Amino acid sequence: MPPRIPVQPRALRILKTPSHYQSYASLTAATSTATTPAFPPSQPIRSAPPIRRYPPTQPPSHKPPEVRKSQLHRQYQSLLKSSPLILLFQHNNIKAVEWMGIRRELVSALRKVDAEKLKIDPNAKGLFAEDIRLQIIQTGIFASAMRVVEFFDPREGLGNRIEEEVFTHGLSRRAHEAASNRKAKMELDPLLSGPLAVIAFPTVSPQYLKTVLSILSPSPAFPAPRRKANPDYHDPLVQAGLQKLLLLGARVDGKVFDLEGTRWVGGIDGGIDGLRAQLVHTLEGAGASLANALESASKSLYFTLEGRRLDMEEKEKGPETAAATEEKTE
Amino acid sequence: MITRFLTEVRVKFNPFSPRSKSARLVLTLIPSNARADGMMVESKMLPRDSKEPASLGVKFKDGKEMKLDLDKMRITEVVEEVDRHSRLLARQEELAGN
Repeated sequence: MPPRIPVQPRALRILKTPSHYQSYASLTAATSTATTPAFPPSQPIRSAPPIRRYPPTQPPSHKPPEVRKSQLHRQYQSLLKSSPLILLFQHNNIKAVEWMGIRRELVSALRKVDAEKLKIDPNAKGLFAEDIRLQIIQTGIFASAMRVVEFFDPREGLGNRIEEEVFTHGLSRRAHEAASNRKAKMELDPLLSGPLAVIAFPTVSPQYLKTVLSILSPSPAFPAPRRKANPDYHDPLVQAGLQKLLLLGARVDGKVFDLEGTRWVGGIDGGIDGLRAQLVHTLEGAGASLANALESASKSLYFTLEGRRLDMEEKEKGPETAAATEEKTE
Repeated sequence: MITRFLTEVRVKFNPFSPRSKSARLVLTLIPSNARADGMMVESKMLPRDSKEPASLGVKFKDGKEMKLDLDKMRITEVVEEVDRHSRLLARQEELAGN
């Protein structure tokens, strides 16, 4: 009795194209009827393409993909790639209720920024209150993911190996090899130890950064909300939590900033647009002064000559005009 | 680390120095309710390019002060140093019958 379960796995059956069968069928028909050669000479002889052993959306991973570690690694990579501004905090034994309070205050403060933006411009784009979140990270995995992001270039060395299959995702063996180069050092390496939490911003927006800094790490430049303005912020639970949260540094556009640098970024008025406006202003000023300097020589020449001309004209018909004016005044 | 007998902890470190790891770990060893129970914890962060070594200042309940240079110490050594006096205090407390 033949086995009830088909022996061929599904993947194999799908890959076998019906055209394959057809060619065999036509071939047998041809040989039985006439004496034509089996393969037309124009058709190149090539072996069937190798069977893919994985779904196209799940290329093989270097470490087992089903474990939490690998997925966190992937998640952190995407976080690092997609957020140009990341703040790093150390958290020292913060309790769950304190975390809850801190997160609540952060979200409400960010929503206020959104509301202000909407008040100025009802169609405002770039409202990020919902996207900026405080997240506790697994330090070791985060460090490893950061190494992949910094040192693994998926396009590198693709040119010579077109025939082979080359994986370009962050969990591939190539990425692992690029990241495990011990000689490559990151600037952020010393920070990545101990219990860490991060806040990732989808864009470098000093307005939001200012709010986050004033909530999580108040300083004279970024004062915390007053007790009258926001009594919830001065809840003992929130304050106890904030005392145990230390801002260590920031990663802005791939560059590393310390506490002072982070505050400087937060202090830029108007964000990138503000900086652009400042630049345009300085450039304009320089241009105007240059134009003035170049113009001034010819202008002064013109004024001297014109003055001289007027002077001479006056001298020529001096008495007449003097008389005329006298008449007019009379 | 025995933190029952500490009244004051002052830590100063530059987070960008690889040697300040033990300073940061000291902070993680302080229990979460220590501040509410009257311990003063002060952490000062140095700017990135400062060469000042990481340091720890501890005050005990009997008034003894201890200053440690954390730059060349591992966290286990730091804990050992602090616990040496704390154990003494614990022993005295036990003998006094509390």
